[in-house]
Amino acid sequence: MMRKFFVISFLMVLLLPIMSGCWNQKELTDLAFVMAMGIDKGEDKKFDVSFQLVNPGNVASGQNGGGQGLPIAVYKSSGNTITEAARNATKMISRRLYYSHTNLIAVSEEVARDGILDMMDALDRDPEFRTTTQIVVARHTSAQDLVSALTNLDKLPVNKITKELKSTEKMLGENIGVNIDDFLAGLVSDGKNPIVNGYIVHGKKEQIGNAQDLQKTIGGAFLEADGLAVFEKGKLIGWFEHQWARGVVYVLDKVQSTGINVSWNGKKHAITMASIRSKTKVSVHFKNGKPLINIAIEDEGWISEANTAVDLTNPQVIDKIDKLVEKEIKRQVLGSIKEAQKMKSDIFGFGERVHRANPKQWKKLKGDWNNHFAELDVNVKVDSFVRREGIRTSPFWINMNK
Amino acid sequence: MEKAKIKASQMFILVVLFEMGSAILVGLGVQAKQDAWISVLLGLAGGLILFLIYYRLFKYYPDIPLTSYVQKITGKWIGRPLGLLYIVYFIYCATRVLRDFGELLTTTIYTSTPLIVINSLMILTIIYGIHKGFEVIARVGELYFSVIYFMAFVGIILIFVSGLIHIEYLQPVFEYGWRPVVNTFLKQTITFPFGEMVVFTMLLPFLNDSKKVKIACMGGMILAGINVAITAAINVATLGPELFSRSNFPLLTTIGKIQLANFIERLDVLFMLYLVIGGFFKISLFFYAAVAGTADLFKFKNHQNLSFPIGFIILCASITIASNYAEHMKEGLEVVPIYLNWPFQIIIPTILLIIAFFRNRKKKTSTS
Repeated sequence: MMRKFFVISFLMVLLLPIMSGCWNQKELTDLAFVMAMGIDKGEDKKFDVSFQLVNPGNVASGQNGGGQGLPIAVYKSSGNTITEAARNATKMISRRLYYSHTNLIAVSEEVARDGILDMMDALDRDPEFRTTTQIVVARHTSAQDLVSALTNLDKLPVNKITKELKSTEKMLGENIGVNIDDFLAGLVSDGKNPIVNGYIVHGKKEQIGNAQDLQKTIGGAFLEADGLAVFEKGKLIGWFEHQWARGVVYVLDKVQSTGINVSWNGKKHAITMASIRSKTKVSVHFKNGKPLINIAIEDEGWISEANTAVDLTNPQVIDKIDKLVEKEIKRQVLGSIKEAQKMKSDIFGFGERVHRANPKQWKKLKGDWNNHFAELDVNVKVDSFVRREGIRTSPFWINMNK
Repeated sequence: MEKAKIKASQMFILVVLFEMGSAILVGLGVQAKQDAWISVLLGLAGGLILFLIYYRLFKYYPDIPLTSYVQKITGKWIGRPLGLLYIVYFIYCATRVLRDFGELLTTTIYTSTPLIVINSLMILTIIYGIHKGFEVIARVGELYFSVIYFMAFVGIILIFVSGLIHIEYLQPVFEYGWRPVVNTFLKQTITFPFGEMVVFTMLLPFLNDSKKVKIACMGGMILAGINVAITAAINVATLGPELFSRSNFPLLTTIGKIQLANFIERLDVLFMLYLVIGGFFKISLFFYAAVAGTADLFKFKNHQNLSFPIGFIILCASITIASNYAEHMKEGLEVVPIYLNWPFQIIIPTILLIIAFFRNRKKKTSTS
């Protein structure tokens, strides 16, 4: 009995060190949380990678705000692969780089034009990375600038970008969140080309990363989402400027809310309809073996502005506004499809639709899809409905004209 | 043989846990791309037919396990080596599952822990379970069944609510025709996980009510098969066929995509919990079958003495069967199904059944 007791106690003591789970322990104070990575073209090595690290003491929230210093620190290292650059960075950083909270990958336009295939696998494979990490292209600026910029409202600059993308997707519909998985899905697909958000730095570039900049209400340098980058075989081939970007987002069925301006009685931008929900259906038909794309958009909203004398109590007028909005949305959508066809780049995933609708026909079209896409017939049908008009009926313009 | 008796409900739960075990974790049927779920359902149908073979064998010899009745069917000289081969096969299967389990943990969260440490901890726990006996394992199964179902429901609801499902990824159905689906069915899904029910030929005598064997086991297989098929469909609908076939552990990637209200995210821990539970039961049952078989074949009075040595063999083999994960998977997908699973799960039981049929008919006619 006594012997058994000793044997069991001995075994338990032996097990203690392994049971505590300290094999792989990573102490919080030994970790450097990488919030964003900026990838530029290197001088001698292939990539220059800038790591935006969070400075935990200075972002701690509380009523008195955080500490005194800056919320982030940016370190730059270079390497021929992403891993090499990350390992080289350890020469400058006292802590272990930790990627589980990396929310943003910024790629400079220069690298994007040369092709970003060589960096994608590192992001796809590493178990620490989230595949929900957003990817953006730094436009007219280096990726280092983009990840070094400080922001006013959000303590962490990376939150500014990721949250901003979310809110602009919701409120405007000219940019959409694109994460690594979305990008890769477009990359490997025969019938779809990936798009990525562009970001620019406004104002004086010298001011980037300067804490004094935060003391002003209008920053010397600030970040803004601008345009959608179109990729073909991992290389940036062109940009969708913002006037065409919304059409793209419409076709991708990602528009949640936006504002559509229409003219009324010769006055331009007289009425704005703010849509509150929108649904896009894309279907494929075949005519003599040639695919034909039908896009049906259903849009609902309210009148958020009427800057002209218009009788909004009259249902016939509302009907007319509906028609005008439909025309405007159709113009934008067709415009962006034309733009894409000019680039011969199927960013809408029409090819995938054709694939699903008719796998046999797709096999014939697949090889030369970009050219087929450029000549594709697309029908757009928009149904738009104004449901209500805010807390006023007709605008004050009606009373003024009396 | 151990004098354990378990209830039909416990048997049902063990079948479900065993069948889902590692099948849910790895990308079952990836070769069929978006039709993976169809090949899983085909596998289930094939597995049910296979189980009927095992069930007929059980009906002829309701009180003894496979290792005993092979001797009765084929005689001592063929039966004994055959029984031994089955024991080795069960040990090898346990080894493979243990390796899967260890590889998964080392590639995902314990990236710098050696494989042998993780595997040792798992096998020690299982040795303890085996030592305590079959009834205990069955009771642990009851306990974890509800835990697993709770996690599965939470997981599925979160995936749907996060808006991750794109049903169109499942189209076009049969894009490459029937061939890849049937091929996957024959090479993979019929044997793994459904054909692995052969392990229950060792365990069926433990059921206290032999009339309920059919309903408990086949019910369990159907439930598990449907769950695995749903998981395959959800994986494809979330990840798309390309990423699905590129992922080592598609379910892990799927769960990693859940992002809800900015704070429900990084739910990988659900997956890890499932992995430990599912791995535990799958290894335990193979392991127990090997132990019970050895005890039966070599006339051990006490099976407990065997749990440690066989566990040690499983542990060492799990490290040495392959030098890297790619090799392990290649063996698992191309060599094992054809050269091991087909003979042990399908060919030998069928031959045994045919011989048993003639032997028993002779007996019946002679007695009547």
